[in-house]
Amino acid sequence: MDVLTNALTGQGISLSFGGIKVLKGLDVSFRAGEITGLIGPNGAGKTSLFNCLTGAYSPQEGQIAFAGQSLDGLSPAARASKGIVRSFQHVALSPDLTVLENVMIGVARNHDTGWLNAFLPLPRGCAERAEMERAAMGALADLGLADAAHSLPDALPPGMLRLVEIARAIVGKPDVLLLDEPAAGLNNSETRDLMQTLQKLRSGGLVMVVVEHDMDLVMSICDRIYVLNFGEFVACGAPDEVRRDPDVIRIYLGSDDD
Amino acid sequence: MSDQNATLGLSSVDRSGLRGMVSARVGTWLLIAIALCLPMVVGGSWVFALGVCFANAIGVLSVSVLVRYGGEVSIGHTFFSAVGAYTVAILDTRYGIPLWFSVPLALAFGVVAGILFAWPSRRLSGIYLAVSTLALALAVPEIINNADSLTGGYEGLYVSKPLVPGVKMSLQRYYAALAVLLAVTYGLSRLRHSRQGLTLLLAKSHPAAADAFGTRRVWARIAVMGISGGIAALCGAMLAFAGSTVSPSGFTFWAAIFLLVGSVVSVYGLTFPRALIGGAFLTLIPQFLSASGAWIPVLYGVALLGVILAGHYLPQLTQAMGRRKGGA
Ligand SMILES: Nc1ncnc2c1ncn2[C@@H]1O[C@H](COP(=O)(O)OP(=O)(O)O)[C@@H](O)[C@H]1O
Ligand SMILES: [Mg+2]
Repeated sequence: MDVLTNALTGQGISLSFGGIKVLKGLDVSFRAGEITGLIGPNGAGKTSLFNCLTGAYSPQEGQIAFAGQSLDGLSPAARASKGIVRSFQHVALSPDLTVLENVMIGVARNHDTGWLNAFLPLPRGCAERAEMERAAMGALADLGLADAAHSLPDALPPGMLRLVEIARAIVGKPDVLLLDEPAAGLNNSETRDLMQTLQKLRSGGLVMVVVEHDMDLVMSICDRIYVLNFGEFVACGAPDEVRRDPDVIRIYLGSDDD
Repeated sequence: MSDQNATLGLSSVDRSGLRGMVSARVGTWLLIAIALCLPMVVGGSWVFALGVCFANAIGVLSVSVLVRYGGEVSIGHTFFSAVGAYTVAILDTRYGIPLWFSVPLALAFGVVAGILFAWPSRRLSGIYLAVSTLALALAVPEIINNADSLTGGYEGLYVSKPLVPGVKMSLQRYYAALAVLLAVTYGLSRLRHSRQGLTLLLAKSHPAAADAFGTRRVWARIAVMGISGGIAALCGAMLAFAGSTVSPSGFTFWAAIFLLVGSVVSVYGLTFPRALIGGAFLTLIPQFLSASGAWIPVLYGVALLGVILAGHYLPQLTQAMGRRKGGA
């Protein structure tokens, strides 16, 4: 598939809250088949950019398009139905649902049985549920969470919840995967497993963007990295270029004491 | 290391949860068996009161489903139960149409009424939504009295068409209400595991996440109100049939408050036993109140206080309940 036609692009994205400019005319192009890193200090605007791309925020200026089609004015749900999926920096799982059920929601948009199936044991609804369960179980197994499938989120440590959040995002075979700090709260072995999972997901058709503080993770899996500071890009390029960029060293890597 | 401990701890939690689930299921079946046999044991007035109790239990479920799936509180659900009750009563008395046809129609009207209410109030929540439902509750007796050529005004309507000709009417009233209550609890237990149910529950606690996975929060609100309105209408339909008369005095503001109190008393449970607790509370309260004349204002005050406290502690309560019941 042509890499450029399947890109998620933004032109001149500007976002402000009550006069405070959070994003200042950003141009981005996240290509399919690549893993793009999005780094920058806290408050730089990374999550806000994700919110603009998914439609949770409406930027005051700028155009966003996926595979050449404009997304402007589409609701988050409509964008989700186009295969644009995200994970949340602050884990957003339902406390009423088991881990498995939370992950099943990730495939809900691919199913459409009617309301009668919700209340009666009709064959289509049962088949749908089994199909959703199977897919969710597969995603959980990929992330080493199969044992926790029937637990409630409150019973799990934060690191596992983070992985459940990611499982929900990847289970529906998205075309665009936006991961907001997927490794936050994970221990070393969990982070390593996650990196492998993300590497396996890399495919010709998938646009993957990872916001991450763990520099080792970003540098080792990303093909390209955008560096955001105060709502502006200060650098963009291959990991090695970005690592050597004096501005980046000053504002981000240099100030990183640990 | 620590992960391993966590996993071990978990599986034991799962096992005890499973045991609890099994014993709860056995208890439910036992209760259903008792309910099925009861009319052979107890006297006529009990059979009547229990039929009304089943109908009230359905009403309690309609409020609880709104709390559980929408995270919202209503103090106006008598509006929807009145829709159901008068659908059944008017079709019965004016057109001679029996329950087989009027109950599905009542359900449909209740769903539509719920949706019609949900659309303009879709962006309201918490106390603001509760107050707008209050407006519905206050309007009900007025509407009924104004349309007295159809509704019979203060005097009300008497529902007498049998469901199955030849069977004793008192038994029909009892078993029809029980059957609908069982059907509603069954439907709700299915909903909990359906795709729609899962997405509604996510939309309740994390609307932004639900949005991001294709469930619009406005859709979620409208769906929950439609379900809740439909169940409330079934409650009204069964109140009309099991209680035999329909009049505005059954759909006052206080009836709406007590629906909510009944839901709180049943801890927002959606199962048959929990609904019965709420239904029993609702059925007993009027008798209790009429027996204790001078205490009525005090009891109203206590009830109101209970509702306000419930509203205040609802988020914590539902969260705690979700923790305990969510796996079931
Ligand atoms: N809904 C909002 N209302 C007001 N300010 C916001 C909102 N969302 C984000 N911001 C502001 O935007 C800036 C960037 O935040 P964010 O995108 O979360 O940064 P990052 O994810 O890079 O840490 C912060 O100063 C934050 O306070
Ligand atoms: Mg952030």
